[in-house]
Amino acid sequence: MLQFIARRILATIPVLIGVTLITFILVNVVPGDPITAMMEKRADPATVAKLRHEYGLDAPLYLQYLRFLGHAVEGDLGKSFRTKQPVTQAIMEHFPATVKLAVSSMLVALILGLAVGIISAVKQYSWFDHGSMILALAGISAPIFWVAIMLQILFGMYWKVLPISGYTGWRSMVLPAVVLGSRYAASIARLTRSSLLETTRQDYVRTARAKGLSERVVIFKHALKNAIIPVVTVIGLQIGGLLTGAILTESVFGIPGLGRLAIDAINHRDFPLIQGTVLFTAVIYVLSNLVVDISYAYLDPRIRLE
Amino acid sequence: MRKFRFALVLFLVALVLIPLGGCGQTQTAQTNILHDYFSQDPPGFDPQADTTLMIYSLARELFSTLVRYKGNTLELEPELLAEMPTISPDGLTYTFKLKQGVKFSDGTELTSKDVKFTMERMLMKGGVGQSPWLFEPIKGAKEMEDGTATELAGFKIIDPYTFEITLSYPYAPFIEYLAVPSASILPADYITKVGNDEFSNHPIGTGPFVLDSWTHDTEVVLKKNPNYFEPGLPKLDGIDYRIISDDATANLEFENGNLDVSSIPSAKFDEWTKSGKYQILESTPLNTYYLLFNMKNHALKDVRVRKAIAYAIDKQKILDTILLGHGTLATTFVTPGIPGVDPSKFPGYPYDPEKAKQLLHDAGVDHLSLEIWQIGSTPPDVVVAIQQQLAEVGIDLKITMMDRAAFRQARANGQVPMNYGNWWADFPDPDNYMYTYFHSSQSKSMSSNYNNPKVDQLLNEARTTTDPAKRAAIYQQLEQIIVYDDVAVVPLFHLKDYLAVQPDVHGVIMHPTGVNSYRAVYKGNQGQ
Repeated sequence: MLQFIARRILATIPVLIGVTLITFILVNVVPGDPITAMMEKRADPATVAKLRHEYGLDAPLYLQYLRFLGHAVEGDLGKSFRTKQPVTQAIMEHFPATVKLAVSSMLVALILGLAVGIISAVKQYSWFDHGSMILALAGISAPIFWVAIMLQILFGMYWKVLPISGYTGWRSMVLPAVVLGSRYAASIARLTRSSLLETTRQDYVRTARAKGLSERVVIFKHALKNAIIPVVTVIGLQIGGLLTGAILTESVFGIPGLGRLAIDAINHRDFPLIQGTVLFTAVIYVLSNLVVDISYAYLDPRIRLE
Repeated sequence: MRKFRFALVLFLVALVLIPLGGCGQTQTAQTNILHDYFSQDPPGFDPQADTTLMIYSLARELFSTLVRYKGNTLELEPELLAEMPTISPDGLTYTFKLKQGVKFSDGTELTSKDVKFTMERMLMKGGVGQSPWLFEPIKGAKEMEDGTATELAGFKIIDPYTFEITLSYPYAPFIEYLAVPSASILPADYITKVGNDEFSNHPIGTGPFVLDSWTHDTEVVLKKNPNYFEPGLPKLDGIDYRIISDDATANLEFENGNLDVSSIPSAKFDEWTKSGKYQILESTPLNTYYLLFNMKNHALKDVRVRKAIAYAIDKQKILDTILLGHGTLATTFVTPGIPGVDPSKFPGYPYDPEKAKQLLHDAGVDHLSLEIWQIGSTPPDVVVAIQQQLAEVGIDLKITMMDRAAFRQARANGQVPMNYGNWWADFPDPDNYMYTYFHSSQSKSMSSNYNNPKVDQLLNEARTTTDPAKRAAIYQQLEQIIVYDDVAVVPLFHLKDYLAVQPDVHGVIMHPTGVNSYRAVYKGNQGQ
């Protein structure tokens, strides 16, 4: 097991180097540069040249990349051009909000998604099944900003029970978690339903029923454990995505997370901050995939990590 | 299975508990705090290192300038100065006297040394200053910029409260420069001690407020400066700027009473003004919305083509319909209200599609394809209207949208072929408009690529002329050449600015330069 983890971690090194190289090439190929981006009203050529030198942008590209890589190995991702804040510090400041949003919306998604999925499968073709699957389809299709504004108007303006936006305590996380979570709940519900339906048609489930076990035991102890594997894969990938920031939800609700940090960095062509957030995102993805792979082994002893 | 179930329960408990942990600070209902917002996190608070309106506004609250505008007028009055400076008859030497006892928020006194430090810091080679133009007229500025001098030769400290500035040439708008927020006077000792980055994050100044806290992407909180030198001000205990990047969310927060001030989106204009729930403040700022041509663009080379475009646009219709009538038609590039500008002397370009067609015919182009580059993701309504109106005279206009950074780079490189843009004056002087766009040393960076030696000569002459009547005459001559003879730009509108304010908030200064001030704001009856 340890050997497997060590091997996987080693394999991430070329992935991460590739990610930084591609990001570096992309930010330099895309039109727009950090100095003129900062200069809103006028970009006096002499001032632009002075600042380009100040930020080391007049050095050859390969040297800029090697410099970045050299510092990154030592854990130094440089300083933001725009705010002069160390990039690692900016990421660490924004990460907690993203984690809170990811965790709370995943909680909403799991509770809603699993419950609806299981009930729909058990009561296949019932009104609940049809109704919830239509709702799930709507949940996946409705644009986030629209759902967000509707909830802001209802809960924030009319009933005044929750804040419209802001990052001021657990109450301010409820609406964003519901908006983001319900979207994931929809896909979890549909997946749980179909996976569970498939499993309940297996021979071993029939055997369990034939033994006279109660339906509760059949579903939860025998069917669900096997049905859950594809769901875990999807959840793992979703958590990876959630932990790297939900740009729209963060913007609409004013949550200072990684998504907003990354978008601001891109808008200002803040090269060190773009590099830093992309690298961090890549690490999160790689790690969450690893966690998913490991969790398979616990869920299904037939899967061997080696 | 049991192990898994235990792990699952543990995981769920953790999921519930983690989000309940402290999420930033909770809002308290403090009545004497003004609630405003910015659409993005500020880059810091160093007024020399940024030129956005956000930093200009923050600089007015955190710092002070030598002179400032009186209320919402264009008349200058001393701020850090005890009196307006005296100017030698040759227009070269300015003598300044500072107010005594003005203290930075850390308690140290502001003296001539800080003023000298501020100006040198802006000009210094390898420094952070983005607006060196403010102090370039001072003798020795060039040497500081190219690194051959470390001190500003034209700055002489006479005593802690008196100093003299000598210019390289008589320069009429210099005194106006000193009121630009980027020219705020900074604490020499503090910056020398802590460095530029630390100063930008934890600034100290002599303004009415001081920075209390800054939570990135969440809020900037200012509190009253107890050392502020103007008795009785500020009236507020503080200002809480939230960072709200989504306009629709900011509007909801304002309608819900959580924000005290908001700009007015055009979709909400009627609703908010007619509801009677808010005060609607109106100002006539110094701005010009224009259509700028790139003189190096091959398709626009013929002046008759540029003139045809000027006649083909129905400006009045666009103003009345799309812009809801909130402004006036422009006939000059420099905004009326600025000394020396006389719009009555210029006819503008009345809507005349037949004349436009004739001009195009004379130029030998009956069908023409042009490109206009704009910032954003969807074309502005005004540009779409211009596109339709140009199509009626046989001009096919292609609108290219680009993101802010890409546009600014293209503009700085002189590549934007045509643009519907605007200029908000930094200070009320025609030089601020004309030199920036049309002097050959600057015109590439604004993508006008205009190059007319006669205009260069007149612009230089106007800078060194101190007689107001003579300067006005030169600028009128320049309007004639640039807008009417060469048609390098088509002035379209001067637009009004509106602010919605909650009914209990009073004393907001909406200045024509677009930089608002909360120095004298009070809520309810508290400040009366």
